[in-house]
Amino acid sequence: MFQFLKDIVRKSSIHVCIINCGGCNGCDVELVALFSPRYDIEQYGIYIHNNPREADVLLVTGAVTEQWVDNIKRIYTKVPEPKIVACVGNCPISGDVFNQEGGTVHAPVSNFIPVAAEISGCPPRPSEILEAILTVAPNAIASRGREKE
Amino acid sequence: MILPIGPIHPGLKEPLRLKLKTKGEKVLNAEIDYGYVHRGIEKIMEGKPWQKCIYLAERICGICSYEHTQTFAETIEKISNVRAPLRAQFLRVITAELDRLQSHHLANSTYFKAMEHETLFMYMLSQREHIMDAIELLTGNRVNMGWNVVGGVRMDAKGTHLKQILEKLEAVEENHDRYVGIFENGPLVGLRSKKVGRMTKEEALKGRAVGPIGRASGLKHDLREIHHTYHDNFEFKPIWRKKGDNFARTMNRFDEIPQSIDLIRQAIENMPEGDIRTDVEIGSGYDEWRNEAPRGEVLYMIETNGNLIKHISVRTPSIMNIDSCAKYMLKDVATVSDAVATYATSDPCIACAERVAILDVDKGYKTYELFK
Ligand code: SF4
Repeated sequence: MFQFLKDIVRKSSIHVCIINCGGCNGCDVELVALFSPRYDIEQYGIYIHNNPREADVLLVTGAVTEQWVDNIKRIYTKVPEPKIVACVGNCPISGDVFNQEGGTVHAPVSNFIPVAAEISGCPPRPSEILEAILTVAPNAIASRGREKE
Repeated sequence: MILPIGPIHPGLKEPLRLKLKTKGEKVLNAEIDYGYVHRGIEKIMEGKPWQKCIYLAERICGICSYEHTQTFAETIEKISNVRAPLRAQFLRVITAELDRLQSHHLANSTYFKAMEHETLFMYMLSQREHIMDAIELLTGNRVNMGWNVVGGVRMDAKGTHLKQILEKLEAVEENHDRYVGIFENGPLVGLRSKKVGRMTKEEALKGRAVGPIGRASGLKHDLREIHHTYHDNFEFKPIWRKKGDNFARTMNRFDEIPQSIDLIRQAIENMPEGDIRTDVEIGSGYDEWRNEAPRGEVLYMIETNGNLIKHISVRTPSIMNIDSCAKYMLKDVATVSDAVATYATSDPCIACAERVAILDVDKGYKTYELFK
């Protein structure tokens, strides 16, 4: 019973923290566009507040620059369980155009932290981001919560 | 006390560390630490043909991505002594102004969020969606458009697209005055934004502030005045203000919105027929080109060797604006929350402001490599 209630609560209130670890911020502006009345992310019970200590979902954008190599792991450990990581854009998946000779990026993000979902596109459309969060996050968070207990 | 804000913080959308020196609630001065998003774009570009570099230039900054490709293309056109056909120049003006419109809406919405005015924040974002639709209609993409090539633009405006863009802009204009009225006449908004984060004209000159931030402090400097397309074909007068506080900066951006819409109207009305692209024989040599991006002057210095880029340096407006924000605007701000709001009005865009930091361990100072 208790577990059932917990599942419902976890599914319907998702706190999101965005980490920009070195992209062009095109993905970040598309994430800001999710606030707009057209997409209205809060009606799905998703709340973006950029505080890792309260987050359930980490949205990672950007291609992991030198400075973020250690910091991304540190931030990941600060997020309470259950947590999942979703990559937004091509940058965290492959390094995009920056992953060439001369660049100082260490993509992909999955080298450093476990990744649950990847949304490709440069940048992906807001509706795609929203759909991806809604498909993976609620169930993944609920089942991850059960694993740990 | 030193109060660090960032790199991950609710008030900032990009990673950067703001160190505020405070006494009680009062902020005495501020220091800024960059370095979180340095990707080495200039280095990657060296030795590559321009077809590959233009995509990298676009990804220097996602918000003003358009202006970077235009400046890149125009620099190479200048080296090769060609100019894009007039129709392409007009299409460039339309896209540049659409990009400016969405950037100004985003900048103002960020400020309203920082000063906790959620209603205006939502209004601004919903206005911005109309403009994003117009951009998508014309170029096929919302953020990184891939619209410019050296010698012109990639696609022509098709069928009713230009008419549809005008309809979208009418939808923006319809509510614009009401939203400006809410901001201009709201007594509480006034209390939080007037006389906060002042920067005088002298300080703006010393801090090398550009764009709407400089213009709000009285620097009548807009590169569109001297750009050949605007100069020859358009009626244009820069908008500027005197006060240099948060209110003036936000109002300056608000006032530039109808101006940009007007420029797009002029461009669509007088749109010439003809080609949209010419063949360019890329020359060898060095040249530089400046353009007015939404945040101010962006400067490209390129040295080519045939088709290959030999060396490239980019100076973006944000680095000057963020610097003058830290030095002058954040000095003696009354409260910490005002400091975050002031930082938001300087319209910071970190992705394009990153430079290599050189740390001299012996002498203990740090410089940012602006020019080689
Ligand atoms: S995926 Fe593309 S749009 Fe997103 S941050 Fe990377 S370069 Fe920018």
